Amino acid sequence: MGVVEVREAVLSRRVTAREVAKAALGRLAAHADRLGLLTQPLTDRALEQAAEVDSRLASQSGDEARSRLPLAGVPIVVKDNLCTSFGRTTCASRMLEGYESPYSATAVARLLERGAVVLGKANLDEFAMGSSGEHSALGPTRNPWDPSRVPGGSSSGSAAAVAARCAAAALGSDTGGSIRQPAGHCGVVGLKPTYGRVSRYGLVAFASSLDQVGPLARSVEDAAAILDAISGVDPHDATSADRPHTDTLASIGTPVEGLTLGVPRQARGPGNHPQTARVFEQAVETFRGLGARVVDVDLPTIEHAIAAYYIVATAEASSNLARFDGVRYGRRAALGPDDGLDDLYSRSRSEGFGPEVRRRIMLGTHVLSSGYYQAYYATALKARRLVQRDFDRCFAAGCHAVLMPSSPGPAFRLGEKTSDPLAMYLEDVYTVGVNLAGLPGVSVPAGFARVDGVELPVGVQLIARAFDEGTLLRAARMFELANPAGRRAPP
Amino acid sequence: MATIASVRPIIGMEVHVELSTRTKMFTRAPSPGCARFADAPPNTLIDPVVLALPGALPVMNREAVEMAIRVGLALGCQVARFSKWDRKSYFYPDLPKAYQISQYDLPLCFDGAVDLPGCDERGNFEPGAPGLRVGIVRAHLEEDAGKLLHEAPGGRPIDFSIVDWNRAGTPLLEVVTQPDFSSADQCVHFARSLRALCRFLGVTLGVLQKGHVRFEPNINCELTLEDGHAVRTPVVEVKNLNSYTALKRAIEHEVFEQPARWLADGRRMGPGMKSTRGWDDARGVTFLLRSKEDAHDYRYFPDPDLPPVVVDEAWRARLAATIPELPASRMRRYAHEFALSGKDAQALVEDRGTCEVFEGAIDSMASLGVERIRAGRVAANLIMQSAARLAHERGVEIGDLGLTGAGLAALGVLRERGRINNQAVDPLVALLAGSMPAGDALGAVEALARTQGLLIVRDESAIEGWVERAIGENPRAAEDVRAGKEAAVGRLVGAVMKLAGGQADGKVVREAILRRLGSG
Repeated sequence: MGVVEVREAVLSRRVTAREVAKAALGRLAAHADRLGLLTQPLTDRALEQAAEVDSRLASQSGDEARSRLPLAGVPIVVKDNLCTSFGRTTCASRMLEGYESPYSATAVARLLERGAVVLGKANLDEFAMGSSGEHSALGPTRNPWDPSRVPGGSSSGSAAAVAARCAAAALGSDTGGSIRQPAGHCGVVGLKPTYGRVSRYGLVAFASSLDQVGPLARSVEDAAAILDAISGVDPHDATSADRPHTDTLASIGTPVEGLTLGVPRQARGPGNHPQTARVFEQAVETFRGLGARVVDVDLPTIEHAIAAYYIVATAEASSNLARFDGVRYGRRAALGPDDGLDDLYSRSRSEGFGPEVRRRIMLGTHVLSSGYYQAYYATALKARRLVQRDFDRCFAAGCHAVLMPSSPGPAFRLGEKTSDPLAMYLEDVYTVGVNLAGLPGVSVPAGFARVDGVELPVGVQLIARAFDEGTLLRAARMFELANPAGRRAPP
Repeated sequence: MATIASVRPIIGMEVHVELSTRTKMFTRAPSPGCARFADAPPNTLIDPVVLALPGALPVMNREAVEMAIRVGLALGCQVARFSKWDRKSYFYPDLPKAYQISQYDLPLCFDGAVDLPGCDERGNFEPGAPGLRVGIVRAHLEEDAGKLLHEAPGGRPIDFSIVDWNRAGTPLLEVVTQPDFSSADQCVHFARSLRALCRFLGVTLGVLQKGHVRFEPNINCELTLEDGHAVRTPVVEVKNLNSYTALKRAIEHEVFEQPARWLADGRRMGPGMKSTRGWDDARGVTFLLRSKEDAHDYRYFPDPDLPPVVVDEAWRARLAATIPELPASRMRRYAHEFALSGKDAQALVEDRGTCEVFEGAIDSMASLGVERIRAGRVAANLIMQSAARLAHERGVEIGDLGLTGAGLAALGVLRERGRINNQAVDPLVALLAGSMPAGDALGAVEALARTQGLLIVRDESAIEGWVERAIGENPRAAEDVRAGKEAAVGRLVGAVMKLAGGQADGKVVREAILRRLGSG
């Protein structure tokens, strides 16, 4: 059952939250190890949370429960770079092996308040750095459609768990595509909200100016229900936006009048897999069939987005991850009698961080170094503004949304790109620009690519104006209803 | 080798002031700069943000920004309409995030100047002496680090270090001056004035021993050689001085050493030549901490967690309106209007509450008919003597004694009218402190003096009775007075005062004795 279905069933007392949790935990237990979904199951804790939801329901009238517990009993998994005051928060890193957070991330706390039940912490690329789910200290996550393939990343466990029907929804985080790209590869809906829409408090920072927490779910409607629960200003996050609360879910069924979609020339790049290109053109036709006006637009700077992104993101990461120094918490190297403070730092960090994290810290440290700042970081910030301007122009020309593939190709095999970081970074070519511009983007299942005799999901991405998740999700919902292919579950 | 004909020191100051906000710079954890939390046990003023736990985020403390702007305005600075926060990166165990949030290229306040009043060689204000204009380069906000301890509490030796993060994240205001000083004394004078200013504005507790105000002079010298050429020695920054004495001695030491260093190594001021030194107070010398070659690359970049600070005209104006007349100006005015000594004027402006009591007392006395200049002197005396003594006893500031201007004025007027004598002032001040009667202050204070038996007796017959007894008991003295030896009248006055229990006015008694003995 999806989010809305569970909510309705539990609120109408057709089923208890505990029954839902038990069933979900059973399914999760059957698949978690096979697919590498979790860093940690939270079985007992989930049953307690579910029982608490049931007892809260017992003491409330129907209307009260509906407004206070809009996610009553909804079983979810939470990406393990979101702090939880229960269980461990590890970022799939040896650096935080066994780390227990004294507080929960605002997004997690808001879900719990509204009745959701956390089944476990989802696997990820270490510290959310990666596009395949392979960079986890606990081992890779596998794609439920073909376990020899990656689910995408970095919200790998979140996307795979929702796709495998082990959770109604999941929380992920998206810095350069980490929700949308795995959602596309796993055939689920993945939403990266506008920067500032959801509090980052308790999200272990990768790149602060790009990170955003968002939902992965089976339908646009379910994603909207989660978004409504987690969004809103937070006094603990100065970059969270103080905007009036919008009930995205309530208006989700209303089609966008005179929908105008921009399709960038660059979305049809030569790097696209032929099957991805085919599904993308079908999606364009589906929108046309819905009466949408499809116009050509141009995002000339999008090809520089990857370079700008990997400078901005690694610069911020090098600084954000400096706190993992072995002094207060996390991994601390064993030192000999002749070792000093520098040994403590370098050895703890070398032991704690995996190769991809180390690579990005080194890149980021380099681009911020005296003498290189202007050439790299300052230039990247300029490119970032140009990317923003490109998108602004599309919206100013009357587009409600921009349509692009979620990634250039379908899910690839484990190990296929791990030795070629540049090829891996190009996985994000369609997603990073959205983070640089701070816009909301959603990946919706669009169809299937047939590769080596296996059907692999392909997603398309819609991008809208900042804080216009309403229009974004209404357009996505129109597409979803017209395109039932996206509803299929993996074999 | 060249011979040095003369040495001109060139000194700029960096001063860190720990602000007294209730909470820290970027989180709601209580701050040890606030009196309530100053003595908290180690590692109790902490939270996820202070400890830089994963996922924690900074949120700007608006009160700290307002305090910084007020100091900036008082230093004649421009307030930036747009400033931002930057990360300064380095690893050290007392720095939890491994970066300090500071302001790099866009400080909150910049381009100011203050006029230091002229003073004598002991640093006392001297009206009429030439002052010194000091340019202020910038005043910006940042967060403090924790404290590393190398011995266990109680002094037990340990072979590791322990960290107290209470101070981590406390708001610090850093004020940077132009290199406008040419002596250690000038620097100390500035340091004192800046501390007084900040305390006056109520933005710091300002306890030097606790490191609330820390000084970092940047020192070099222009050496004029015998052949007329001038060379400049490399700049030395001395870190973390937290007493005026250390500041003075460190500067004097550098000014003495730098010419000798130049003679030995020939190094001149220039890019890459600046070095950082510490101060060894016991040995009275500075020592090298690091030279520029091994300086950190701090990799400054804008903090993406914090929105920029935008100060619009309305906000700036609202803060400007809260700035009272500043100590330097009051000090000049007090000296001029009330003909006070520079030292007294300086002491009065140490504390804002004291100024308020002082000025309130003058206004009240003036309304009771005392001439303002006289009122100023009387009020200054009451404050500098009785009130200062009491404040010292109670360990508080004069302004915090609970005295009111009206109460002090009532005392002054009673004294002026000869209704109480000097001995009555101290006990009355102590009684009035914290329990000032409401309503008619003069009447109330007079009533208080009466119930305490501190009012001078004006009853002629009583005085005549005591005079009669005193003459009877001291016939020799009375004889001497009759014989014209006026000096002997003192003994009789003393005897009368003793009989009167101190409640008589000496002048009246003296006149009564002389009248009685026929020499008046």
